[in-house]
Amino acid sequence: MLSARIPNALRILLPFLGAASIILAWQFLLPLAGVPPYIAPTPTRIASAFANQWPLLLDNLWPTMAESLAGFLFGNLAAVILAVAFVYSRTLNSAYFPVVLFFNTIPILALSPIIILIFGLGMLPKIVIASVICFFPTLVNMVRGLNSAAASEHELFRVLSATPWETFWRLRLPRSMPMLFSSLRIASATAVIGAIVGEWIGSDKGLGALIIQATFNYQTERLYAAIVLSSSMAIILFLMVVFVERRVAAWSYEHP
Amino acid sequence: MHAAIKTSSLELGYRNDAETVSVLGGVNLTVAAGEFLSIIGPSGCGKSTLLRVVADLLDPLSGDIQILGKSPSAARREREVGFVFQDPTLLPWRTVKANIELPCAIGGRRTADAPRGRSAELSKMLGIDDLGNRYPRQLSGGQRQRVAIARALLTEPKLLLMDEPFGALDEITRDRLNDELLRIWRRTGTTVLFITHSIMEAVYLGQRVMVLGSRPGRVLSIKDLRDAKTPDNRCRREDPAIISAMTEMRSMLEVA
Repeated sequence: MLSARIPNALRILLPFLGAASIILAWQFLLPLAGVPPYIAPTPTRIASAFANQWPLLLDNLWPTMAESLAGFLFGNLAAVILAVAFVYSRTLNSAYFPVVLFFNTIPILALSPIIILIFGLGMLPKIVIASVICFFPTLVNMVRGLNSAAASEHELFRVLSATPWETFWRLRLPRSMPMLFSSLRIASATAVIGAIVGEWIGSDKGLGALIIQATFNYQTERLYAAIVLSSSMAIILFLMVVFVERRVAAWSYEHP
Repeated sequence: MHAAIKTSSLELGYRNDAETVSVLGGVNLTVAAGEFLSIIGPSGCGKSTLLRVVADLLDPLSGDIQILGKSPSAARREREVGFVFQDPTLLPWRTVKANIELPCAIGGRRTADAPRGRSAELSKMLGIDDLGNRYPRQLSGGQRQRVAIARALLTEPKLLLMDEPFGALDEITRDRLNDELLRIWRRTGTTVLFITHSIMEAVYLGQRVMVLGSRPGRVLSIKDLRDAKTPDNRCRREDPAIISAMTEMRSMLEVA
């Protein structure tokens, strides 16, 4: 049996209603259950923290945003370039792909102190951590994407006497777009995580530093406001990726 | 004038590091310019392999082959050969028009080869002129294969190779495309090598039919049907001469 069809308008509305119901429950049920505000402040208190502490929040938002964006760009760019090298050089691929997979198993939390040791306490180590966290999934996906053209597609290009350059630009690269973007969407969230992790370990600026300070000082409203802000930032980065994807790889969506 | 294809004691197969696998041997074939030759045989008889050797997608194991008096690779580089695969192999990120014009987009300096307006003319000839701005996923199977044929004809090849192009289509669409293919063949005067699994299709389309057997792959017979057809290769499917040719081929293939 198929379940009853949900009307279109309702389908758009439902997620909002779902979120609203949780916020309302949080606002009214949590205090009733006796959860103290220093553990879980109500949404209205978090909202007022946003209003009161906006300059402070904004001050800490910029560094984190810059680190996330720079990490996202550098990490993914490096991954794409290395993926192209791996696809075109069997030797390079055989020699270094296993090493890359090994590095990928090191938890980013374990790697971060080393990166801080190397690059110091400025913004650079955070950018590096955000880059590293974006790098591996994109590398693996991009290698698979560049190799995803069908045998008959390669035969078609050979019959047309395409140069290797043309086969790359007209076949391999467009073919790789869906897989590249599926990893970019994930990277949009992990880049922010990388920047925040970096700030935890060694920084007095940024949302990560703010989160740590607010936790130790029992400034719970500020802590929650910083969390909401960092997740909003990841969502905006995600939407930017989707926006570009709709233009670059619209063909890969099932429906016209 | 050179024959479109001339082979002597051609042996085909695959060669890798470990072993050499012969698929089809003893092919002595001469195809006149402008001829329509069907090739039929059971799976594994090497008919696709033969087409791939002609298209310079594969080197022969031994023997000699000339395409229009040249080597297969020279013929390919001079764009004398068009190829239609069983799978239409359209690039999903290109519109119908851009797919037809793909041969113009690759091949570097040869771009000027395809005369202006040729793609519009071909679209019209194949009845897809109103689909130019659509994407492949928006087309039916028959329409996709029409686009693939238009693309193969864009460079005005002297030799058109077709590897079971209508194998995945329903019978009604297939019959219609058979008639359209014959019309295009009469109009362009191109030589066609047409692989099929269908005895009916092989006999209906081909002036001659090459029947292959498998295990080991060999040429069983090359049946000349020109006496049973009009000079411009027309026949009725229920003509007694056509039916008896089909019966003969069926028993040949059963024994093989």
